[in-house]
Amino acid sequence: MTELLTIVVATCLGYLVLLTLIYVVFALVSAFENSVRRRESAVEDYRTLSSSRFTIPVSVIVPAFNEQTSLVPAIQSMLDLDYPEHEVIVVNDGSTDATLDVLQEAFELERFETFARTVFPSGRVRGIYRSAAHPTLLVIDKENGGKADAMNAGFNIARYRFICGMDADMVMERDALLKGMRLVVQDPGRVVGVASQLGLALDPGRAMAVSRGRRRVERRPLVAYQHLDFLRAFLTNRLAWSRLGFMLCASGGFHIWRRDLVEQIGGFALGFTCEDIELTFRAHEYLQRQGQEYAVLSLPDNIGTTEAPDTVRKLVSQRERWQRVIGETVWHYRRMWFNPRYRIVGLIGLPFYLLTEVLAPAVELLALASLPLALALGVFDVTSFLVMVGAVAYLMASLSALAILLDDLHSRTYRRRDLAWLLLLAPFDIVLYRPIIFWARFKGTWRFLRGNKSWDRFERNVRSQPA
Amino acid sequence: MHEIVFLTAVLVLAISFPLWLLLSLVTVLGRLRYDRRQRLGAKTPSARHVRRLLKRALEKPRTEIGEWRRIAALNRLARMEHPATAHVLYHALWGDDDKAAAAAVRCLGGLGSPWAIELLVAAMRGGRVPRSRIASQLERLYPEPAFLLLPLLRDPDPAVRFWGATLLGPYENLGEGDLVELARDEDANVRAAAVEALGNRKSEEAAEATVALLDDAAWFVRVHAARAAGHAAGPDAAPAIARLLGDERWWVRTAAKDALEGLGKDAAEALVPILTSRDRFARNRAAEVLQDIGLVDFLALAHPGSSLLARIYAAGGPRFREAAEARAARARETMEEQAA
Repeated sequence: MTELLTIVVATCLGYLVLLTLIYVVFALVSAFENSVRRRESAVEDYRTLSSSRFTIPVSVIVPAFNEQTSLVPAIQSMLDLDYPEHEVIVVNDGSTDATLDVLQEAFELERFETFARTVFPSGRVRGIYRSAAHPTLLVIDKENGGKADAMNAGFNIARYRFICGMDADMVMERDALLKGMRLVVQDPGRVVGVASQLGLALDPGRAMAVSRGRRRVERRPLVAYQHLDFLRAFLTNRLAWSRLGFMLCASGGFHIWRRDLVEQIGGFALGFTCEDIELTFRAHEYLQRQGQEYAVLSLPDNIGTTEAPDTVRKLVSQRERWQRVIGETVWHYRRMWFNPRYRIVGLIGLPFYLLTEVLAPAVELLALASLPLALALGVFDVTSFLVMVGAVAYLMASLSALAILLDDLHSRTYRRRDLAWLLLLAPFDIVLYRPIIFWARFKGTWRFLRGNKSWDRFERNVRSQPA
Repeated sequence: MHEIVFLTAVLVLAISFPLWLLLSLVTVLGRLRYDRRQRLGAKTPSARHVRRLLKRALEKPRTEIGEWRRIAALNRLARMEHPATAHVLYHALWGDDDKAAAAAVRCLGGLGSPWAIELLVAAMRGGRVPRSRIASQLERLYPEPAFLLLPLLRDPDPAVRFWGATLLGPYENLGEGDLVELARDEDANVRAAAVEALGNRKSEEAAEATVALLDDAAWFVRVHAARAAGHAAGPDAAPAIARLLGDERWWVRTAAKDALEGLGKDAAEALVPILTSRDRFARNRAAEVLQDIGLVDFLALAHPGSSLLARIYAAGGPRFREAAEARAARARETMEEQAA
């Protein structure tokens, strides 16, 4: 029994050490990538880019399901984007609340018919609306079919060479599209996909009303920890993936894709819980098979703010869904695991996902089950355990601090005192926030194994009425 | 095992705690310094600093970060309009570092002086920097480059001719003869650019050239020709453009629809025969243009029983009719409210 326990504890510790090493290496690569992107962005001629007719036009597609509380500020921010030519296509995916009415009132919508070819099949379109106030806004009202189906419906009607998917709760920075398209415009033949960093707030519209540099980070620890989580994911992980050539997660909040690629790979897939990660995997798979030189990039620019769940229940619901879709996608593309045909994507990207995302809940569960027993039987002494927890806490806090530093160097978005607040919270992440995420990931894995593919979107936060 | 775990954990803690502290201090103090600098504004660089910038701008960097430092130095010198700017930008533009060359293009566009424009036009010929970036800068300097662009139209390289024609678009009185010539170029991209530029002109030659390209073999030339013919040839081109509503390529149909909408009510007559086309998409799109130019709403309000409206409804389908009737009902309500 003791021997078995020793093996289990040693395995868990080995996993922890391996994971830590990987994260440290990725953090260093990310810091380098951030430095390059920061210098690049500092000398970019955004003024010319924002007025030139040679800047590639973009179709923004916003799927919306029951978004009556968050949609108007989000769409307004998308219409206000500083970009030479873009259209905004909102797809009301059979909302059962007043989403369409709210849109109609806010943007003076009127029903018109617009004929489009069916590139990808989608749910029945009930009507198409144009705005009298904003000629670049188009609203498709269709029967419910899920987010991927809504994206496909928007894609069918989109006019431009690049499409940009945005979430209906995202409030964008005015220069979001310029920042996102900056590298595409330089090399549209090679850069096929772009994602970028997002901020978090309970009410994105209110948060974004404050100018950059004076913006607040939510003080509530639950939201602040999610903010830290986002910063770590985007600035000490995805930047490294982007640099190394296996950016496997262009999140639904903001993702730009070259239209012809999406067309070639068959559009957004309906058979998955979420469509964003799967599309990224499929794009890599296709382009690697074709042997094409390409880039899917993740940028450090803070391009907008999305809504953060404000209760533990909502957070668990969101994160378990994310875990489920990671499980579904990594399993679906198992032929790519360790497959040299897919080069770095198959040899490092997919195994990384497998190791850090898919297997993590199982190892964490094993550790949780064996540790008390190991402590009780003396396989592992309490002092070592406590020192180890402290070591992991400060190591992770160091990665968080690096993420905060990289974000501040690049975007200078938040107030100094809020940065200090995040830095102080970081060491307690392991005891205050990780257990919630562990539970969500465990639940997500369990539901993935049971084949559950429901959407379970978290209920939107209640907003205070503007004065 | 106890000892190994304990010692490893102590070691990690001994490194990670000070590291967290250090990064936190760097973050907060760095931001404090940044905020102070923002408040005080930019300082005039010292002579020593300028010398360092010059050295950096001219030396060959060994690392990627070094490349960006060089670019930052180029930028800074150009912004300061330092007397050596022309020299360092020339050096960067024709050196072997592509990123520095691209940065030089941006700086030249920012300067906008005659020598900078000449260098940009020369860079357009050279083709080291993506030509779209050079074009953005030359376009930004409108109308200064004007005559310097004309030789590009006769360049042996089709890519240069393409950009020459594209850039000449906004210059309504310049190079029309050459553009008409280029509308018959053997390279389809050049033809597309030429026809697009001709779209901004009102002469008979320009109109003829744009209408002739409506039947081009390359679909993207037809796209540009449809849009250009709408502008250059006006309502006379409407029947020829309307024909493109049934083109084999979707993008050509879309361009034709946009061009017809641009013609407004003058396009209506040309669209009526298309309403009974055997091609469903052509019928649909003809109905859509009539809707977008306001004819459907007018008929639905003033002549709801007209045979033309019935034909348009038949071409547009039930959803089209539903939308039109909803708009008409709303318009009637508004009128009644106003009358009351």
